[in-house]
Amino acid sequence: MIQAQSLTKRYGSKTAVDAVDFTVQPGRVTGFLGPNGAGKSTTMRMIVGLDRPSHGSVTVNGKQYREHKAPLREVGVLLDAKAIHTGRSAYNHLLAMAATHSIPASRVKEVIELTGLESVARKRVGGFSLGMGQRLGIAAALLGDPATLILDEPVNGLDPEGVQWVRQLVRHLASEGRTIMLSSHLMSEMAVTADHLIVLGRGRVIADAPVADLIGAANRNTVRVRTPYAPELAALFQSADITVTRTDADLLEIVGVSAAEIGNQAARAGIALHELTPISASLEEAYMALTQNDVEYRTGGTPDDPAAEHTAADLQESVR
Amino acid sequence: MTTIAPAPAPVRAFQPTGSGLSFGGVLRSEWIKLRSVRSTIWSYATVIVISLGMAALMSASLDLGGTAIPAGEQATWLAQAATFGVFFGQLVVAVLGVLAISGEYSTGMIRSSITATPKRLPMLAAKAVVIFVCTFVVGLVSTVGSYLVAAPILAGKGINAGLTDPDVLLPLLGGALYLALVAVFALGIGAILRSSAGGIAAALGVVLLLPIVLSMIPAEWIADLLPYLLSNAGLAIFGLDLGSAGFEVWQNVLIVLGWVAASLAGAAVLLKRRDA
Repeated sequence: MIQAQSLTKRYGSKTAVDAVDFTVQPGRVTGFLGPNGAGKSTTMRMIVGLDRPSHGSVTVNGKQYREHKAPLREVGVLLDAKAIHTGRSAYNHLLAMAATHSIPASRVKEVIELTGLESVARKRVGGFSLGMGQRLGIAAALLGDPATLILDEPVNGLDPEGVQWVRQLVRHLASEGRTIMLSSHLMSEMAVTADHLIVLGRGRVIADAPVADLIGAANRNTVRVRTPYAPELAALFQSADITVTRTDADLLEIVGVSAAEIGNQAARAGIALHELTPISASLEEAYMALTQNDVEYRTGGTPDDPAAEHTAADLQESVR
Repeated sequence: MTTIAPAPAPVRAFQPTGSGLSFGGVLRSEWIKLRSVRSTIWSYATVIVISLGMAALMSASLDLGGTAIPAGEQATWLAQAATFGVFFGQLVVAVLGVLAISGEYSTGMIRSSITATPKRLPMLAAKAVVIFVCTFVVGLVSTVGSYLVAAPILAGKGINAGLTDPDVLLPLLGGALYLALVAVFALGIGAILRSSAGGIAAALGVVLLLPIVLSMIPAEWIADLLPYLLSNAGLAIFGLDLGSAGFEVWQNVLIVLGWVAASLAGAAVLLKRRDA
C-alpha cells in the first residue's frame, strides 16, 4: 500500500506536485494517468526516495521507502529505461543490483528468463533497443520479488506481444495481493489493465476512482443517427434535456434519448433511418474530458507555464 | 469527480520475504559494477603497462659514466626507477575514479543504485572502499612489477637492492597507496560534479595543473603552499620530491588524506541533499 499525504514538490517557482493525497491499495492494478508535466514521474520518484518532497510525505507499507530494511523487496520500480549503465551487460547490471540485497544469482537468471532476455543477457546494454531496455528495467524491478511494483510507462517501446505480456504479468501480480502502480499514455491499454485510476493534472489529483466509474461518468449516452431527413428527425426531439447536433447533412448526434426511443419515434413519424448507433464513451474520452477541463480551468492564471501548452489535441496525438 | 469505490474483494496483501540490504552486499555490488565495465580494465592495464615501461626505460637509459653508486643509496635509486610510472599512473586512476560515479550519472544508472541503496551514503562508502582496494592492488602490482623489471637491468650497472629492503619496499607500498588515494579523491570530485567531462577536468586540474600554475606565481606565500598540494605531497610519499618542504612520509600521507577527506565529505553532503 502506498499512501501520499499532502505530497508536494516544488522546483524553484514551479510546483510539479501540489499537495496530493492518494492511497494505492494492494490486490489491484492502479493506473496513474495525466498529461505530460502533470507530476506523475515526480510523484513516483518521491515514492522511492530519489526526490525529496518539499512538503508532505509518502510511505510504502507504513514507512518511508529508505527506512525499509530491504527496499528492493518492498518496492520494485521501473522509472525509465535509461536507468542502466550502457557499458555493462544486462546480466551484470542485474547481478550488481541483486548483490546489494544478497539476492542469489539464481534469481537473476529467473528474471532474465521471465522477461525473455536470455539471448542478449551477456551483451552490453548500450546496444539494446527501446523494447529490450524496457524488459531489462522490468526484470530489475522484479528482482526482489517485491510486494509493491511501480512501473512508469512500462509498455513504452514494447511490441504488441510485449504489451500483452506486461498486462498479464501485472494482473497476475496484483492477484497475489501485491500493490501495482502503473502509468501509461495508452488509454486503451489502461482500460483493460487497470482496476482503479488516479488522474493527475497540473500536479493535483483530479480523479481517484475505479475505471468503470470514470467511464460511466463520461458516458453521455450519445446516439448517432444517419437519415436523409435529418431536419425532420431533429424536430422530433425538441426538449431541454435532449441535445441534437447535426454533424453532417445526413448525420445527427443525439444525447439524452436511447437508441430504441429514437427508432420508435422515427418509425411513428415515417422517417427512414440509415444508421442508428449508440456510442459509449471510451476511457480515452473520459480522460480527455477530465484533463481538458482541468487545463482550461487553470490556463488563464499562468499562461507561461509549459504544461498549459499541452492541449487536448496534443494528447490525442500522443495517444495514437 | 471522485466516486466512492465499491469495496474491493478483500485480498491478503503480499508479504515480502528474503534477505535484506547489508553493507557487505553493497560492497559486493560495487565490486561487480567496477569489474564489469571496460574502462576499469583498460585503465588498470594502462597503469601497469606504463609503470613497467617507465621502469624499463629509466633503468636502461641510466648512464652513470662509470661512477659507482654508494651502497647506502642503491636502494633509493632502484625505488625511484620502480615508482617513476606512478607519476603517469596518477592521471589514469584520477580519470577512473571520476568515471566510477560520473558514469552512473551520465547513463542514469545512479537512479537504480539509489533505489537499491536509498540511504545513499553506504553506496558512496562502498564505492570508495572498492576503488581504494582495487587501485592499491593494481598499484602494488605495478610498482613491484616495475621493481622486478628494473632490478636486473640496474644490477648490470652496479645497483643492487633486495625487494625486502625497507628503502625499496616502503616506496613501492607508498606509490601504490598514493595511487589508491588519488582514485578515491577523484571519486569524490566525480560525485560532486556529476559529470564525466567536468569531473575529469577538475580532478586532473588539481593533480596536474595546480602545482604547475602555482609554482609559476612569484609570491612567497604561494610557494609555501606548494608542499600541501595533493600531488606534491603524494609523490613525496615515495621519494619523488617536487615541492620540497622536508616533510616526513607520514606527514605527506596525512596531507593526501586531508584532500581525500575533503573531497569525500563534499560528495557525501551533496549526495545526501540533492535529488538524484
